[in-house]
Amino acid sequence: MGRIPAGYLANRITTLVLTVVIAATLIWIIPRLSGLDPASAALGRMASGGGSVENADQILAQLRESFGLDQPLSMQYLLYVWNTLTFDFGLSTASFPTPVAAMIGNALPWTIGLMLISLVITFLIGNLLGALMVWEHTPRIWKVAIPAAMVFTSVPPILSGLLLMYIFSTQLRWFPLSGPYGLNVEPSWTFDFAASVLYHGFLPALSIVVVTFGFWALGMRGLMIGVQGEDYTTLAKAKGLRPRYILYRYMIRNAILPQITAFALKIGMLVAGQVLVERIFAYPGMGKLLYDAILTQDYPVIQGVSFVIILMTAVSVFLVDLVYPLVDPRIRHGA
Amino acid sequence: MTILDFKNVSIDFPTSTGIVHAVTDVSLSIGEGRRIGFIGESGSGKTTTALSAMRMLASPGFVSGGEIHLHSLPESNLLKLSDEDMRNVRLSRISYIPQGAMNSLNPVMRIENQIWDGIVAHEGAMAEEELRQRSNRALESVGLDPDIVGQLYPHELSGGMKQRVCIAIGVCLDPDLIIADEPTSALDVITQRHVMQTLRDVQGKIGAGLILIGHDMGLMAQSVDEIGVLKKGELVEFGPVRQIIEDPQHPYTRELISSVPLVGGESFLDPKPATPAKGYATEDGTPLLELRSVSKTYGAVTALHPMSFSLDGEEPKIISIVGQSGSGKSTMGSLMLGFNEPSTGAVLFKGHDINRQSAPEALAFRKDVQAVFQDPYACFNPFYRVNHALKFPFERFGLSEGPAHVQQAMEDACRAVGLAPETVLGRYPHQLSGGQRQRLIVARALMLSPKLLIADEPVSMVDASLRATILKNIHDLKDQHGISIVYITHDLATAYHVSDYVMVLYKGHVVEAGPPKDVIGDPQHAYTKLLISSIPWPDLDRDWGSSEDAEAGLAELARIDGRHEMILRSTIPGFSLGVD
Amino acid sequence: MEDRNAAAPETAAPDMTGLSRAQLRRMKRFENPWLNPKLLWGLGLLLGIVALGILGRIFWDTEMVFTGSGLPRQAPVGIENLRGQVGSWAHPLGTDVTGKDILALLIVGAPNSLYVGVLASLIGMSIGIFLGFSAGFIGGRTDDVIRVGSDVMITIPPLLILVVFQAAYGDISLTIMAILIACFVWQSPTRLIRAQVLSMRESGYVQMARLSGASTWHIMFREMLPNLVPYLFGSFIANVTTSIVTAVGLEVLGLGPQRIPTLGRVIYDAINSGALIQNLWWWWGIPTLLLAVMFIGLLLVNLGLDEVSNPRLRRL
Repeated sequence: MGRIPAGYLANRITTLVLTVVIAATLIWIIPRLSGLDPASAALGRMASGGGSVENADQILAQLRESFGLDQPLSMQYLLYVWNTLTFDFGLSTASFPTPVAAMIGNALPWTIGLMLISLVITFLIGNLLGALMVWEHTPRIWKVAIPAAMVFTSVPPILSGLLLMYIFSTQLRWFPLSGPYGLNVEPSWTFDFAASVLYHGFLPALSIVVVTFGFWALGMRGLMIGVQGEDYTTLAKAKGLRPRYILYRYMIRNAILPQITAFALKIGMLVAGQVLVERIFAYPGMGKLLYDAILTQDYPVIQGVSFVIILMTAVSVFLVDLVYPLVDPRIRHGA
Repeated sequence: MTILDFKNVSIDFPTSTGIVHAVTDVSLSIGEGRRIGFIGESGSGKTTTALSAMRMLASPGFVSGGEIHLHSLPESNLLKLSDEDMRNVRLSRISYIPQGAMNSLNPVMRIENQIWDGIVAHEGAMAEEELRQRSNRALESVGLDPDIVGQLYPHELSGGMKQRVCIAIGVCLDPDLIIADEPTSALDVITQRHVMQTLRDVQGKIGAGLILIGHDMGLMAQSVDEIGVLKKGELVEFGPVRQIIEDPQHPYTRELISSVPLVGGESFLDPKPATPAKGYATEDGTPLLELRSVSKTYGAVTALHPMSFSLDGEEPKIISIVGQSGSGKSTMGSLMLGFNEPSTGAVLFKGHDINRQSAPEALAFRKDVQAVFQDPYACFNPFYRVNHALKFPFERFGLSEGPAHVQQAMEDACRAVGLAPETVLGRYPHQLSGGQRQRLIVARALMLSPKLLIADEPVSMVDASLRATILKNIHDLKDQHGISIVYITHDLATAYHVSDYVMVLYKGHVVEAGPPKDVIGDPQHAYTKLLISSIPWPDLDRDWGSSEDAEAGLAELARIDGRHEMILRSTIPGFSLGVD
Repeated sequence: MEDRNAAAPETAAPDMTGLSRAQLRRMKRFENPWLNPKLLWGLGLLLGIVALGILGRIFWDTEMVFTGSGLPRQAPVGIENLRGQVGSWAHPLGTDVTGKDILALLIVGAPNSLYVGVLASLIGMSIGIFLGFSAGFIGGRTDDVIRVGSDVMITIPPLLILVVFQAAYGDISLTIMAILIACFVWQSPTRLIRAQVLSMRESGYVQMARLSGASTWHIMFREMLPNLVPYLFGSFIANVTTSIVTAVGLEVLGLGPQRIPTLGRVIYDAINSGALIQNLWWWWGIPTLLLAVMFIGLLLVNLGLDEVSNPRLRRL
């Protein structure tokens, strides 16, 4: 294993830091641009939201403090950056006085679990199908079936979620409508609980997979067409290698490299799609938390959730970029 | 004993406009250990014919008639084998050495693994130790150090090393026949000789037959025993190499052979006219083009070491800059065109620094200095008809007196370079051949009547039979239109014929300079000598030398690499070269 | 140069005999690449949605997008709802839980979604062309800043920033939403154009244009831009899709324009009013279907454009 070139590493770290800082700044600056006092505006929205605002003074004071409104603007910003970096997002206004960080802490594992499963499945299936669309030895029936399945690509995840839910939950009743696990099990490290989580997570994951695999498949198809025309593929065939070996070790192995970079870039898009899917399936992850916060105008939670998801995205991008030199010797040697 | 037979082979390509008969009724036999050359221009079907023996025709091509027999098989007709049997034939009985060695190796696999997978695919899995022994033997046979090269990735090798790895792969299973598809077309002449000799040596050692595909008659003469000449998919002539070269029967073969310019051979140019056109002259004797201590560095790399020369344009001349890739010759071209600023020194045109000009001066400079580039395919914007490339500068430089005048000027220029205007004007670039396009670029230069023309490898991407014609066109610009020319090339033979003065560039230094009869006809510098001796001559009595000679030449070059000496031969009036 | 793959060499005149009529017809298609079936079908679907908007406004009463325009929970024509009422021609696609006419909602909402997508993408493309050319042409520091900027912005999911924005500002208009989305769709055209400009800058015809004394302006817009058109088209369509997905995503979260009907808003209302459990499938199903048609149309146009600009794809 070679080392990762220092220049490359520095470049990736700069991008990571910049992304996080810019995202945090945007989240801070947007409400201030609206020209309202963020604290009373937030409280006003809570009041107009229909809920009776108990201990309003306390909340107002807490909001003022959390926004640091008595400080000069630059101090407010620095304070905010410090708080954000220490994951202190203040207290929720809707379920006062729960700390936002605690709410996010509860929701995060669900989101990460669902995201990892659907991302990995969609990446593998998408790229394999895309490769099969181009490979000359693919059975004819696959060559017809795969493009037909591409129709799903055109559907945003929210719609696939709705349709799957309608078909499999409402009509066929094969899968539960909502929730992360059944009412009859308690969260514990038991087989029953795990099975229930998988059972409940199946449709949400599927609704993401179904609509995103096509993106990878189409990208892979284009890349494979390029690789198919490469001289090394021709020489591999001239070497009398077995077609399957050529497919995996020569064609996919090379075609997938740009897809790995794209994987990093598309994580943000996929996470956003997942927010919507969680919302439909009432899955208790970040998406659901965000949706509830929007309904109750719970601004600290909205800020916190948005920041954490962006952070997650940026870190995943960074990690993928770190892995990349290990699979491409040309980067590893700084070529 | 015959190992491979083509019997009346025809190959068709169905295309959008109908079926193209790429190869028609080709029959020939390849004897054991014999080397056969397939020669012809692009589209002649030489590669297609050879690849049909591997059943690897590019889709949608197919063998529409005939049989191909490999006699070492129990069931010898290759076209009747199952896909799996054919797979087993590849590499173990017929191996292939590709043209594009630059991209022929899997970029993410170590070299030794790329030899191993070929062995495993035919002989089944075996211990890594045994595989390593086999791959080491193969790499050694092509003169590479297996302990180092085996562990490397392709991007860490030079072009010549990659091509030798491809040869190692091709011979690792002792095939009956090796098909080498222009294995050296991307390499410079010195590396070309080394690689070709390596190929010849290993092929001789394992006693395999060889099909060498190429377009260079000289390379064929130095490498093969028999030559097949293909034209438009037909085998027009086939015979022993000596007979083909010394007594060609078919007019096309004669044309192919006569189109190769030779150093010291007959000139292909028109004799100098009695009253050659006058060029640019000034009262005070300011040179047309002057380089003052010009150098160019890119980061830590020095592309061009400081050099000075001055060229007066009064009597137009052709100055050749000769060098291999990386010698800095193209950098010089772009410096003279003002596309690049020199790192030190100044480029002066008519006494003005070309990088310190006002806008109107810059426009006047552009009108006076034109260029012909290497790639005729890239020089036309695919979006426009070819007229755009001729008309736009003509109008931009204020030469036009109305649409009718532009049209007249374009037609005149086309005729002057031997093109019928109605067959080229108004077409889109992709409808014209490379030769037609390059001649249009020369016509474009002619229309603008510049004082100086930079011709950067103008014929290296054009078919051999057209090279002489295009060089003749360029040469006419000097004699008949009074244009001074800087001819940048890697090809010593053409430089020998067209130029009045030659500079040989090596790693950014001028190593030898003088009139072509001296520098190319009787080289003194070790590098120039090596270049000349590496040219494959289409002359069987002028041998290329052995691989030991090539090694010795390379060693000599390595020895002088550290110190830079310049050998100045005699001078010519109107041009002076100085080095700081 | 020898053509490497020995594909279709230009030898003797092609032989047209022995080809079936179907083959000949397929060959015709190759002659004009723009007559690409995928492209035509895709454009047809998109034009259908535009036509729905225009014809609907003429032949249907769009005032029925308001609450109480008809009986609530009416099923599409000829179908019974859970109460046993059969849908009538008064509301051919049924009504929602407050009696809004679904057809009227679609007539107003579908073009709105398309409008947001096209506007956002147009703005994003303009930014992308400007930045891409700047980065590719000026190079140096400018290039570094633009490159890092697009690297950073491509990582941030637009939906989340927009959620923050809307939560702070409340109601916004369609146009403002399009502008906001545009802030997140300029990155990929910027990268694409930058890469193309960098490679074209060294191309023979750009060098020829420089030799011809062409201005930078001429080189960018007369020599380079025409050759970028297929890429720009493809990128534009891809961005329309992204923009619509983002817009619908916002609307489905209950954000976005509050008083203007959009397809996402209709779906939001349906989910929130329990349309799934009440089996009011037409309420969410028909807008979903229309969105799907829109996306399939865009996908087909994009695939078609790919084939137009890259002939290698055509054979597959």
